[in-house]
Amino acid sequence: MSSIPTRFDVVVVGAGPAGSAAAYLLAKKGFSVLLVERGKGLGDKNMFGGKVYAQPIREVWPELDKEAPIHRWVTKERISMVDGEKVLTVEYRTEKKVSFVTYLTQLTQWMIKKAEGAGALLASEVTVEEILMRDNRVVGIRSGPDVIEADAVIDAEGVNRLLLERLGLVKKLDPDTVGLGVKEVLKVGEGNIESRFGLDKKEGLAWAIVGDITKGIPGGGFIYTNKDTVSMGLVLHLSKKLLDEGSFEGHVSSLIEGFRLHPYFKPYWKDAIISEYGGHLTITDAIKFAPSRFAYPGLLIAGDAAGLLLSLGYTFRGVDYAVYSGKLAADAVEYARNNGGVNYENLQVYDDYIRKSFMYEEIMRHRGAITLMNSFELMSKYPKLLTKVMEKMFEAEYKHEVIYNSLLQALKEEGISPFNLISQAFMMVKGI
Amino acid sequence: MSQSKGEEKPIKLEDILQSDVWDVDEDPHIIVDSEKCLECPTKPCIYLCPAGCYVKAGDRVIFSYEGCVECGTCRVICPMDAVKWNYPKSGKGILYRFA
Amino acid sequence: MRIVVGMKWVPGTTSVRIDPKTGTLIREGVPSIVNPHDMPAVELSLRLKDKYKGEVIAISMAPPPALKGLEYLIGMGVDRGILVSDRAFAGADTLATSYVIAKTIEKINREIGKVDLVIFGQETIDSSTAHIGAQTASWLNWPYIYYVHDAKFVDSKFVVERVLEDAVEEWEVELPAIIATHMKALKPRPVRLINKIRYKVEKPIMTWTNAELKLDPRCIGLKGSPTIVSKTVNVPEVPRKKIVYTPKSGEDAAKWIIETLMKDDKASKVLMKYLSMEGEAQ
Ligand SMILES: Cc1cc2nc3c(=O)[nH]c(=O)nc-3n(C[C@H](O)[C@H](O)[C@H](O)COP(=O)(O)OP(=O)(O)OC[C@H]3O[C@@H](n4cnc5c(N)ncnc54)[C@H](O)[C@@H]3O)c2cc1C
Ligand code: SF4
Ligand code: SF4
Repeated sequence: MSSIPTRFDVVVVGAGPAGSAAAYLLAKKGFSVLLVERGKGLGDKNMFGGKVYAQPIREVWPELDKEAPIHRWVTKERISMVDGEKVLTVEYRTEKKVSFVTYLTQLTQWMIKKAEGAGALLASEVTVEEILMRDNRVVGIRSGPDVIEADAVIDAEGVNRLLLERLGLVKKLDPDTVGLGVKEVLKVGEGNIESRFGLDKKEGLAWAIVGDITKGIPGGGFIYTNKDTVSMGLVLHLSKKLLDEGSFEGHVSSLIEGFRLHPYFKPYWKDAIISEYGGHLTITDAIKFAPSRFAYPGLLIAGDAAGLLLSLGYTFRGVDYAVYSGKLAADAVEYARNNGGVNYENLQVYDDYIRKSFMYEEIMRHRGAITLMNSFELMSKYPKLLTKVMEKMFEAEYKHEVIYNSLLQALKEEGISPFNLISQAFMMVKGI
Repeated sequence: MSQSKGEEKPIKLEDILQSDVWDVDEDPHIIVDSEKCLECPTKPCIYLCPAGCYVKAGDRVIFSYEGCVECGTCRVICPMDAVKWNYPKSGKGILYRFA
Repeated sequence: MRIVVGMKWVPGTTSVRIDPKTGTLIREGVPSIVNPHDMPAVELSLRLKDKYKGEVIAISMAPPPALKGLEYLIGMGVDRGILVSDRAFAGADTLATSYVIAKTIEKINREIGKVDLVIFGQETIDSSTAHIGAQTASWLNWPYIYYVHDAKFVDSKFVVERVLEDAVEEWEVELPAIIATHMKALKPRPVRLINKIRYKVEKPIMTWTNAELKLDPRCIGLKGSPTIVSKTVNVPEVPRKKIVYTPKSGEDAAKWIIETLMKDDKASKVLMKYLSMEGEAQ
């Protein structure tokens, strides 16, 4: 048994997008890397909505477009406001390869294989039970009786951060900062996807739904077209208010079923059978959710565990943020090695890397986004204006224009005065 | 097995869950202190556990771990701190394929 | 001691569904797992190794994806795995399978070291024949005992315990022998991180094809399999009533069950029939 290594340069906990990207880059840079994942098959614990922004991931894997399991490139973005049976839908079409739809299970599997291919040692079917601390420094991990030591541990355990909680670095998950996502994958058939959603082969649709589809619970719905299935589901914000009031109108599955059977949406998945059903938490308040630091002695926190998710109501950026933070973690470890050793002083650059990254800036800039999104029906009066705003909202590789700014900008470009818009909106709201 | 065919009626959760795959662990990964549930005013787990693992039976709440999809919701929402929550061991539990 | 344990890589049958439209099996996305009945067999082999030292070798006759299953067993603590894999073995029934397995055991005996004990699970979830243990024992002419839940050396004699419905029997067995554990005999241990690292670093896996085993093509695969599947029937699932009753006492529970069953047309008929048969027997 003596030849079995119990010490690695870096241990990465969690082979989701964040952990796989970090492990891949570190292995490529020549570090010995242990990647520990609790799942059995690769990717089988990873669940999400469906749309992934490509550009930050291309920085880690330039071969993404060619090799990754991409179901369809998003060429149509839709937003619907639902009020009972009344629905207002806006659609935006683009040709640019900005985002794609896929199954996270498949994409993660691809990423893990890349990490293994680069030389990271993957231990699957193993749940890490503890991140080990000695003299105020993280020194390794423990699973059952087994201890593995490392110069640095990268925590990429996702949103449900049991390990960081056990370490005492973050408080127990606060319902005000997370939402429950539920999803059904409906087998529609390849040809039907194209004819029903008006898509060409390889073209995909991303659809955000707001309004009373969540029966008064803050949140919204989503629809994504995969190769031959549709992913549809809801995100429900788990606020203390909701829990205190305890006024549930029924089980969450009845909400998603209500969505599936909504007369406006159900023709899209006529005769489809349910291929899969799932639930997962997601971050709804990234700023409150984030740990106070991203780097601790011997420990870097990446992906969802670090609260790096941008949720704009119409778009989620979690997977690309996770990958990108994994890259920054790998960069930080490399920086440390090249500057005197993988010790805390050197690893601290990671905190800086994150805070200066486009992700962090975006999260800070969009604090108020969701409130603004809710009043976007006023924009439907101005379809041309809206496409402008949409373009700014969706066609972003890294940075999304703040809606308020895109609106102002678009207004200017369209020669509409803000005063006009507001008075129009006022009339509209009064009219409802 | 009653499966959906775009029928007009909502499909029952237990039938929806037929579409999922688990490799069920021998030991429960979640342990609920059911005595605390008796005192729980709102019992949000009954409505919010997406897999319906918490079922109301009179004023009791019965929990079964087998169909859990490991989302962590019950851990977050329980007001009584009644839920001892862990991930399953050895790769057991839900196996997503199209998520 | 050297213990060989058998593993079958089976589709997780609980996740095989039937397409409501076509009535055919939906195979897409059905993941395979280690046959659950094999788990107590692996656990027993590891407990014997913990106690008496030696090595545990897991064998599986299967296509390459079964490596995942061998990896799992090595994760539990099995020392090495042998994948017996060849297109020529495909389509085998239990007779042809047990023949290949027996020959594999003989080869281990010859080339790796003397095999003292072979342990199988009682049956498999995808065919439930419970043939393999007995057939392999016949090929090798070794003693065979099934429904085993424990085994140990008592004064240098090997003693196995087997569970019957109403009794536990102890048998003294001469080694080498073959035993099959019953389904709930022992709780399998979890996978360990250190074993998974060992799996990746040492790659303790061999693959034997028929080039190594050199078996007569007439005795293996489809050709060596006299079994014919004449017909399959689809037995629909019986809908459950799902009633929860919290009884005040054991007696109360029994009373409630009888009362509830008697209220049900079908159940009461079956119950009455059974009760009258009991009466006749007396
Ligand atoms: C309903 C929903 C919809 C979403 N939609 C989108 C979308 O459309 N686009 C988008 O970009 N993002 C979306 N997201 C967010 C996205 O899924 C996450 O941001 C992303 O998966 C984060 O990646 P990660 O690697 O940080 O964490 P995860 O993907 O959660 O991976 C963490 C990994 O760590 C493993 N793990 C955890 N604990 C341990 C342990 N103790 N030991 C071993 N392994 C462990 C887990 O099994 C898992 O594989 C959505 C999320 C939800 C819930
Ligand atoms: S929320 Fe907690 S205490 Fe209340 S019923 Fe559910 S598990 Fe029990
Ligand atoms: S973790 Fe999620 S699925 Fe599992 S019991 Fe809790 S709420 Fe239900």
